[in-house]
Amino acid sequence: MAPRITLVDADQAPLLVRHLFAGGDPGVIVGALATVPELAEVAVPFLGAALGPGSVEPQAKETVVLRTSVVLGCRYCVDARTVVALDLGLDARRVAALRETTPGERLEGVDDDTATLVAWTDAVALAKGPIADEVHVALARRYAEHQIVELLVTLGTTMLLNRLCTALSLPTSPETMARLAAEGFGP
Amino acid sequence: MSGPGPAAAIEEGRLPGRVWFYSTYACNLACTYCLTESAPGVPRRALDGATIVDLTRQAAALGFTDVGITGGEPFLNPDLPAVLAEVASVLPTVVLSNGTLFNDARLVALRPLAGLPIRIQISLDADEPEVNDAARGPDNFAKVVKAIPRLLDAGIGVRVATTIDGTPDPDAMARLCELHRSLGVADEDHVVRPVVRRGRARVRGEGIGVTPADLPAELTITADGAFWSPFGPTVTAGVLDTDLLVTRTTNPLRVPAEALLRLVEARPRGEDARTGIR
Repeated sequence: MAPRITLVDADQAPLLVRHLFAGGDPGVIVGALATVPELAEVAVPFLGAALGPGSVEPQAKETVVLRTSVVLGCRYCVDARTVVALDLGLDARRVAALRETTPGERLEGVDDDTATLVAWTDAVALAKGPIADEVHVALARRYAEHQIVELLVTLGTTMLLNRLCTALSLPTSPETMARLAAEGFGP
Repeated sequence: MSGPGPAAAIEEGRLPGRVWFYSTYACNLACTYCLTESAPGVPRRALDGATIVDLTRQAAALGFTDVGITGGEPFLNPDLPAVLAEVASVLPTVVLSNGTLFNDARLVALRPLAGLPIRIQISLDADEPEVNDAARGPDNFAKVVKAIPRLLDAGIGVRVATTIDGTPDPDAMARLCELHRSLGVADEDHVVRPVVRRGRARVRGEGIGVTPADLPAELTITADGAFWSPFGPTVTAGVLDTDLLVTRTTNPLRVPAEALLRLVEARPRGEDARTGIR
């Protein structure tokens, strides 16, 4: 699938973001954002902070990222974050459940903490207004307020990327496709 | 000692004071070494006159000292003389032109500019018509040598710019200098620069390759964004080059000006304008 815009490569990398290309291909999201260098200059570090290590343990955070991408139907993000989730040590059955269970369905093979986190993610990602009190309260029993804020930033950032990648038809890399096939997540 | 904003940086010589505007990419010529692949019928990528005037006022407030207007051929815009009058009332201005459009009507339109701080920089690459016209098109030489004295007679300052691929031939250059002097252009108003390997010259494998270190960081505004230098917003094989893009935001001008300053200040010491191509 071809992207709907011309992605910036290292030869055409604008000055403010040239450093992002110095270590090799930074990926299609950076290639898209770099078309607006003043935005990419601040967005790329922000994405790293929002999706990277924080006060919430990485597997929980990645559960939110992958699940949000599933709910919003972002093929690129589901592919890419499945690999990240597996690399973080998420069980393949849990990853499969996150990918294949529709919102409202019972997730098989996950603990209560994960089920609560997924129910909260589904609610926030799909909400057209405030989420139900009981969904928030269930999450608040397991996470501190600052962790809920962090999870919300992670989720909201993921939604931004979901829309970006989907609207621009960003292509999944061959390496990711190969890894997914090897892990049994191929098409 | 480093001040915080563009004004202090310009005042202290850390940032060049000229801001450039690409008024259009369209041109009535199609020179072989053109940076922007300008020609009749190409996408215009034009800045309208009101935008140029507005950004010039912002440039003055930010501490910029003068304006350059380039293209394409800026004088394809019939409103340019009026725009120039406004721009030059704010900052001294140089306009780059191929010098082929100055017929009687345009000279009349330029008359109100006499006495304003405006100079027109006209390209002339050789003293021999066949050598000049090989790169710039038929009859270019004849039109330019006719236009320069007429502009001077109309009270408009003229500079001559010579673009050369390879090492200049001293004899040919001496003859060219004799010619521009005979047309009324003094030596200090004659600039010589190399063909830069960007745009059409890159496709043809001509000219010298450049990096930001070779180019003064002169803020350059186009319809596509702000660039490091007027040699930045080039078009190669129909596609805009972004390797010297600074920001897509051009208004308020403070945004690209401050971004350019950050890039300049982040350069390693000594890496400023190795070649100084202008």
